[in-house]
Amino acid sequence: MSERSDLMKRQETMPDATSEIPAVAPLVDIYENDDEILLHADMPGVIRDDITVSIDNGKLTLTGTRKIETTGAAQWEEFGNVEYRRNFSVPQTIDVAGINAVLKDGVLRLHLPKSEAARPKQIEIKAA
Amino acid sequence: MWTRWSDVDRMFNAMDLLQNRMNRMFPDYGRIGRFPVTWDVAQSGPKTNLSDAGDHLELKVEVPGMVKEDLNIRLQGNYLEISGSRKSDTPEGYTVHRVERGMTTFTRSFTLPADVDSEKVEATLSNGLLTLVLPKSETAKPKQIAIN
Repeated sequence: MSERSDLMKRQETMPDATSEIPAVAPLVDIYENDDEILLHADMPGVIRDDITVSIDNGKLTLTGTRKIETTGAAQWEEFGNVEYRRNFSVPQTIDVAGINAVLKDGVLRLHLPKSEAARPKQIEIKAA
Repeated sequence: MWTRWSDVDRMFNAMDLLQNRMNRMFPDYGRIGRFPVTWDVAQSGPKTNLSDAGDHLELKVEVPGMVKEDLNIRLQGNYLEISGSRKSDTPEGYTVHRVERGMTTFTRSFTLPADVDSEKVEATLSNGLLTLVLPKSETAKPKQIAIN
């Protein structure tokens, strides 16, 4: 028998990281006007510190982790800890530095302002 | 043989991972009705959790985007009724690309597992989550019985 044990050794680690809580996509509303794109996302029970909004090369990622504290024995449970996660493609004309997000009553409101060049302009007609 | 338990564990982890990936791919799967969007639990209202902490019950309700004026809570004995409505928060002068959240009106009623002292019920609303703390009435509270 071979002395080599490295052939027999098995890797006991999980190569893919598994997340312990389920990931769900939050419901969103998306609106647009001449100045900005506005996104509302329902994230009940998520506190401000647990939300991240990142934008990378035209891909906007919203994540929010909900941790619910319960006391006592559960009688019924229809919702639990979840990770809200959703990706969006945003046009390159968004002014990334001007993005601002407000969380109120479990709804995240994200304002994505359009860059100056992308806003529609009224062109004045001069009298000849 | 028990040293190989980690293999079983790993298999389940992989299944969870697959499920998460699928959920991400089909976020709308299992959601009832797209337009107008309705609540998950067969249109009967928002999702709730109830837990029993011995001397009180705790009910949590998902109510994103609602303020306290939108909600109505009625209690009689062990019968609890929560109703509310969410107004459309579509801003003025915007074109609409996608509406999933919509507005909704719901009424949901519960038969609680114990009688509740309606005078001492506390309701708080934070981050779109309504928490009701319902102290049990004296007769329904668990009692310690001393052995002589």
